[in-house]
Amino acid sequence: MTAVAATRPPGRLKRVFERYPFLPAFCIFIVLLALNGVFSPASLSARGLTGLLSTYLALMLLAIGQTFVVYASDIDFSNGAILSLVNVVIIVFMEQMGGSGLSVTAALAVGIGVGLACGLVNGIVVAALRLQAVVATFATSIFFTGLALYVLPVAGTPAPRLFWRTYGGRFFEVPFVVFAALGIALIVYLLVRTRLVTRLLAVGDDAQAAYQSGLPVTLIRIGGYALSGVFAALAAFCVTGDTASGDPLVGAKMTLFGVAAVVLGGTALSGGFGTVVGSALGAFIIGLINALVYFVGTPSQWQNLVQGLVILIALMLGIMVSRRARA
Amino acid sequence: MSKLELSGVSKTYGATVALRRGDLSVEAGEVHVLVGSNGSGKSTLCKIVAGSVKPDGGRVAIDGEPVAIGGPKASKAKGIGIFYQELSLAAHRTVEENICLADMPVTAGLFVDRKALSKRAEKYIALFETVSGDDFAAETVVGNLRADQRQLVEIMKTLATEAPILIFDEPTSALDRAQAERFFEILGDLKAEGRSIIFISHRMDEIFAVGDRVTVMRDGETVGTRILAETEPTAVIQLMVGSKDDLAEAAVNPPDAAERSGTPVLEVSGFSGPGFRDISFSVAAGEILGFGGLHGQGQSAVLRSLFGAEPYGGGRISLEGTPVHYSNPRDAILLGMAYVSGDRGRDGIVNGRPIFENVVPVHFLRNGLKIVQPKVLKKRVDPALDALRTKYASLWQAINSLSGGNQQKVVIARWLVDQPTVLLLDDPTKGVDLSAKSDLFALIRELAREGMGIVLYSSEDAELLNNADRILVFNQGRVTRELTGADRTRFNLYHAAYEAAS
Amino acid sequence: MSATETTPVKTSSVLAVLRQPLLIAIVLIGVLLAFGEALSPGFASGEQILRLLVVASLLGLVAAGQNLVILAGREGIDLSVGGIVSLSAIVAGNVMSGQDASIPLAILACVATGALFGFLNGVGVTVMRIPPLVMTLGMLGVLQGLLVVIRQGIPSGKAAPALADFVAKPFLFGLPGTIWLWVAVGLFMAFLLRRTVFGQRVYAIGSNEHAAFMAGVPVKRMRVAVFTFSGIFAAIAGLCLLGYSGSSFSNVGEQYMVPSIIAVVFGGTPLAGGKGGYTGTMAGAVLLTILQSILTTVNIDESGRQMIYGATLLVLMLFYGRGRRMRG
Repeated sequence: MTAVAATRPPGRLKRVFERYPFLPAFCIFIVLLALNGVFSPASLSARGLTGLLSTYLALMLLAIGQTFVVYASDIDFSNGAILSLVNVVIIVFMEQMGGSGLSVTAALAVGIGVGLACGLVNGIVVAALRLQAVVATFATSIFFTGLALYVLPVAGTPAPRLFWRTYGGRFFEVPFVVFAALGIALIVYLLVRTRLVTRLLAVGDDAQAAYQSGLPVTLIRIGGYALSGVFAALAAFCVTGDTASGDPLVGAKMTLFGVAAVVLGGTALSGGFGTVVGSALGAFIIGLINALVYFVGTPSQWQNLVQGLVILIALMLGIMVSRRARA
Repeated sequence: MSKLELSGVSKTYGATVALRRGDLSVEAGEVHVLVGSNGSGKSTLCKIVAGSVKPDGGRVAIDGEPVAIGGPKASKAKGIGIFYQELSLAAHRTVEENICLADMPVTAGLFVDRKALSKRAEKYIALFETVSGDDFAAETVVGNLRADQRQLVEIMKTLATEAPILIFDEPTSALDRAQAERFFEILGDLKAEGRSIIFISHRMDEIFAVGDRVTVMRDGETVGTRILAETEPTAVIQLMVGSKDDLAEAAVNPPDAAERSGTPVLEVSGFSGPGFRDISFSVAAGEILGFGGLHGQGQSAVLRSLFGAEPYGGGRISLEGTPVHYSNPRDAILLGMAYVSGDRGRDGIVNGRPIFENVVPVHFLRNGLKIVQPKVLKKRVDPALDALRTKYASLWQAINSLSGGNQQKVVIARWLVDQPTVLLLDDPTKGVDLSAKSDLFALIRELAREGMGIVLYSSEDAELLNNADRILVFNQGRVTRELTGADRTRFNLYHAAYEAAS
Repeated sequence: MSATETTPVKTSSVLAVLRQPLLIAIVLIGVLLAFGEALSPGFASGEQILRLLVVASLLGLVAAGQNLVILAGREGIDLSVGGIVSLSAIVAGNVMSGQDASIPLAILACVATGALFGFLNGVGVTVMRIPPLVMTLGMLGVLQGLLVVIRQGIPSGKAAPALADFVAKPFLFGLPGTIWLWVAVGLFMAFLLRRTVFGQRVYAIGSNEHAAFMAGVPVKRMRVAVFTFSGIFAAIAGLCLLGYSGSSFSNVGEQYMVPSIIAVVFGGTPLAGGKGGYTGTMAGAVLLTILQSILTTVNIDESGRQMIYGATLLVLMLFYGRGRRMRG
């Protein structure tokens, strides 16, 4: 990277990073992918990659949703709880409706609705009632977890066969998760071109300035939370497909990893700046780190520590490299 | 019937009256100038019209119809566009996005129509094509622009509202002469189209050059409106200040050059850093050295680097004959340096904290204190505040409850508890009212008399000419001229400031 | 300027007085105690209140460090406190392994552990300029990993009898030692924040970091210090928790992360920092503990409890410093 900086006029690298803030994440991603390939060639096979995708698609979706909230300089510490809630709601819904194709479709619609509703609650609490985002979404996450426990007190109810068969299956020789990923890519491609996303970024830059310019700041922030809620619901579908069962606490541990993925992707928590692609890469970086730690043969009790350390180092590296590049 | 009519508009923040009684009447096809010292309520008045401040009382009428303005969006819908003094730009968005931010063209009701957006923005960018600089483009991210270019973007953004009523709250403060002139041309065109323009400025020449009428505000009240063609600057200033004495005190304070004692307290040679190169000068005890020239030619950068706030590339600094090295304000303070910034919101006040806590930090540092003894410290804090005639009710009142001028006095007082060797003043009177200014310069002269070495940068030429014993004129990061003794004239200062630029 | 502008804001109206965060917390504590008593007679008895205070003091200790970190501003927050509580409890438990004689050494080891991780957080935040949320989040991951390693490698430690007695049994004037410890910490914090240069600097960097820097405040050193304090307070809480529960198990601290932040907010310190103090936070810790205690007293299942808890927190937050309106 220094070579590039030396041969091109100054400011060039800066502009590249401004345009593609996820570059450090992309480099880390490639390196990790290569390392995975070295230690376990099978992990780079179509099957290996599909497995990684189906496991980390949910985290990726969570991180993407979080990105929109972070754009506006807010944060959503409840999206893991929303994921759990949607997971148990659709599981119970499908179980009660008999698990037919129609019930699965209806369940997906209900799930999206629940995610959207939770997102709106967050948005109203933070943007309209002006509570501090960090603690307010902690509180809503407790509430959503309560709801999830009410819907399904203990983990275990299985998903209908149709559901997980589809998620884990293949169509025209191509795994379903690949289609899912492509579908998500299309949605994201369209989303980042919407006025809402540009406005979220403007609000994150300077909320007061955005308000004074005549933007409906409260509505825009609520919109960010709504997106986060919907993406948490999509993430819940993936978790449901992957685990094939309901668990009212399944998303609890994912919230913070989602935030880490957003940061790894080069999005600034202070708002106004970042990319969705970066967050998606960030989620896979976490997945690749976890896989790599396993592949290099770390003793099982050391795995968590090594994962934690490597993620911390990656977070630091990403932030420091992108800061240097933009300076 | 007036296009816009305000009567008895008021606004109070807690115990602070920002606007007591604002009256203003603007016709269509008129450039109406609003003047008044800082804190006189001009900006509050404008923000009320623009919807970003909620008035406590009063009436606003457009085309004779009373209107209620519920917020910036509503104000916009009623045909009002505003240029905010503090700018309302999104730093990570591009120039064209900022220009169209408030009402972005969309397709299918959802997606930003990039083509339409570029096309609309282009129209306003083109207006300033000749003066906006080579590195200015529609796709440039606003955060990468210079201050003057950002101000141009805010102007374009205001023009893009195409509103019949346009408010410009100090739109020219960072612009160079060519940019300002281009802006005034555009203002003339807008006027010809029959738009109503409210224009705030502190520069008398500008006011008389572009305005039709002027409304003067003082202490939150409208004190009068005059037709500019039938009045003259002194009359307007008279109205602003209220009594003749204040004016005399503020502007006239002839320096006595003979007082320089000769021993240099600060010597700088070959000093280079971001925004300046190869600067050498020395300041004698008791001397006030002025930094002059056009705005942003490296004067502030030199002072900030001298104080250790920003890194410098090379050069030597000696304090009282001893070479010194430091890389942060902390070390600079311990060596006897003091620095007062004109940007007190950023560099000066510890917002929300008591006056007391705003004065003592330097004293703590210089004396290596660990424990706070308010009663003991009060005896040292009070004289420092009194020396500047600071007006406050209690040391434990929050600093933001004071007026801008008094806030700046508190910030200066923190350096007076223990006398520094060198005082660096970086446009210290920016946003300070006239009476505070005169208090300040009286004190600065007094400090010099006691043997302090003082460096003063001011963006107002009159302040420099009235207070500095010697003036170094800066141009593009270098000192191009030194004015001493009888050479310190307004003509020479202008001439030196513009010579290399042309 | 005119005289009216320099007059401090008068808080004459009843409403303004009621907006004092400390007072809100105390009133709410009273209301909740009365409510608890109504639901289950004996809830507000002296003995029961003492028990509540012991539990609250553990949270209060963690919140002390959290409070300093938040006060110092720049999005200061410490998500790793829970991990430090757990780890230091294990360290202390293993060093003392049930022996009274080993208590001093255990205290030393435990506090050193907390200080170390707090210091590392501080270094990450200042030297490497990682946002506190990210740094402490990453550190939490490391600590959790470390806990897994330790749990497998060594037996869970045991509290010394003297420590257990200190924490829960009456120690002086009928009050358990933890409560005295908490009172001492409260006095220490009040002194630190009001009467020391350190305390004033915490507020200064929390209100306007750049202005503080320009006035010679050693901003980085200060920030490292507040994070180190946070680690130390979390470690002390871990020690008390060990005494309270008798033995250390791996995730004991996790329950403190979110409540320690909420206690600070309920105490009147906004997450933006620069204003507030610890007295309010102590009331906030008591308030949260009573709320949780009421929810465990009433006979409803876990889901209802969580829903009520979450909703109550939201309602309570409405009483505290809400964000500024966009329109001035």
